Amino acid sequence: MNAHVATTNLSKRFGAAAVLDRVDLAVERGALVTLLGPSGCGKTTLLRLIAGLMAPDEGSIAIGGFDVTRTPPHKRNVGVVFQSYALFPHLTVAGNVGFGLQGKGLGRAEIAVKVQRALALVQMEHFGDRPVRALSGGQQQRVALARALAVEPSVLLFDEALSALDRNLRETMQVELRRLLKDLGATAVFVTHDQDEALTMSDKVAVMNAGRIEQFDEPVRLYERPRSLFATRFVGVSSELRGTVAARDGGRVRVDTPQGQVLAEGDLPAGAAAVVSTRPENIAIGAGDGPDRNRIEGRVRRVTFQGSRTRIAVDVGAGGDFMVEIGGIFALPAPGDVVMLSWAASRSFVFADARQAA
Amino acid sequence: MSRALEDGAALPRLAFRAPQLSAGVLLALPAAIVLLALYAIPLARLMASSFVGPSGLSFQAYGRILGDAYGRSLVWNSVRLGALTTMIALAVGYPAAFGLAFARGALRSLFLASLFLPLAASVIVKSFAWSTLMRSHGVVNEALMSLHLTSAPIRLLFTQVSLISGSVNIFLPFMILPIYSVIAQIDPRLTEAAATLGASPVRAFLRVVLPLSLPGVVAGVSLVFSLSVSAYVVPTLLMGESYPTLATTIARAFLLLRDPALGSAAGAILMALGLAVVVASHRFGEKSAGQ
Repeated sequence: MNAHVATTNLSKRFGAAAVLDRVDLAVERGALVTLLGPSGCGKTTLLRLIAGLMAPDEGSIAIGGFDVTRTPPHKRNVGVVFQSYALFPHLTVAGNVGFGLQGKGLGRAEIAVKVQRALALVQMEHFGDRPVRALSGGQQQRVALARALAVEPSVLLFDEALSALDRNLRETMQVELRRLLKDLGATAVFVTHDQDEALTMSDKVAVMNAGRIEQFDEPVRLYERPRSLFATRFVGVSSELRGTVAARDGGRVRVDTPQGQVLAEGDLPAGAAAVVSTRPENIAIGAGDGPDRNRIEGRVRRVTFQGSRTRIAVDVGAGGDFMVEIGGIFALPAPGDVVMLSWAASRSFVFADARQAA
Repeated sequence: MSRALEDGAALPRLAFRAPQLSAGVLLALPAAIVLLALYAIPLARLMASSFVGPSGLSFQAYGRILGDAYGRSLVWNSVRLGALTTMIALAVGYPAAFGLAFARGALRSLFLASLFLPLAASVIVKSFAWSTLMRSHGVVNEALMSLHLTSAPIRLLFTQVSLISGSVNIFLPFMILPIYSVIAQIDPRLTEAAATLGASPVRAFLRVVLPLSLPGVVAGVSLVFSLSVSAYVVPTLLMGESYPTLATTIARAFLLLRDPALGSAAGAILMALGLAVVVASHRFGEKSAGQ
């Protein structure tokens, strides 16, 4: 078994509701993996099962090749950084960081050295004597991280650990934390509902929905080749057309939509109800060159200038907004203009239309 | 027009500012008046009368209690009642407070009701109930005999068993409620964090939950000790004359002996005992919390 953390067929029910449904996840040694999904998708439950804070109904969990399914949390050597940080309010910063070391039969001096080293990793070495109540949110977050790192855990788990920070600090911490964990060679699993955080921090992202992992891929791959409509919509913006598959065409399908026929990557039988999706930044204004392009017409509804890029909402007769994003500030259309939109067929994906099928 | 507006704008701000400064004083004033008139002044007069002897100022009343074997036994009986009640209530109430905190739904309502409802019954009623249970042909003795654990009724009433069990029963809610209210505030993530840091459940309890629950213990100990050390009805009904305490002496001094100096001195000693335990337990709580 190569994976450092592996879950096999892991299921958890609360009453009648399945919160986790036969989840297989393999995290390689030294990898930073994010469980990404909306609230209620089971991501936190999966993390708590790995930590041993909950017991699964079915399936098994292995850490470092050993089955730990029935091992209590205090014997798993797993570090957890909680959303609320869960710092011990009656102890100082050093008392918190040293908590895990004191149970290991180390000498007082040795503990002090390790505490200082862990605090230095998060740039909090001068705060050891402070009570934790006196710290800001960002500082508490660092202390919680130092406390988890101090015991040199086999795996680090982060439960929405950055979500309580304000936006600027969160973005700084994302980059800093990734660099620190990479330097330490740590294996880590993050839980978040924030797609930017997932893409920034992880080597691989597991997109979760309704207790299952929909896709487990590298961030770039996940964004460029989403495997489900859910993953497409959850990671980035999806510009969509609905229609019926006309024919298969060598790894692609031709889909008849009210806006015209479009080509998309994917495989669905002829006659199937389909959703064709692409990313807003793949779409150009104008017909473009080449045969492998999808072209539709629409009327501009709104133009939102955002500095480096401009978002344009176009009414293509598909109900909602068809989002287009272009760089540069030249040749911006105005609301009411009729424009031709085009994008590469290789950058459009077809999915079964669950709404139609149901 | 614009001047009037400015004035108008300035007015409510002023009107708002002034009371804010003294809001704390104003809000506390009714309670302060009541306490001063009905408690502090009578207490001061009581204290003063404890220093009155046959020829003016005197410590004679204190000497009669503390300088005499019988007098010291009054102090000892009060302290014993208070200390035993507090210790047993703590031993029983501490786990019970966790039971209450962990209970959910109907069970929690049941637990809370069983704590609060007895508080609505008068302590006299409860003491009589205990004396009925404990008398020679009361429920407890009948039960023991029908189980053939004893052949004849055991003497329970007017023994220390009945005194302490009655006292613990009556004052137990004052131990459980403050401890419960503190541990209900403890973030359950803290014990999880301790577990992920390698702490066994016992170590997590001793190093995290116990220290964080101490403020509740301090409050519970202070309450139960000051209530039970000065209890009058409980020892009178469950022990009678054979267990004289400072509290029963106060009543005897004022009602029977017409000796206000003795009664006041007994009251002063009782108050000093209660204060000592309250202050000491708070010191202990602060010291433990600050470690």
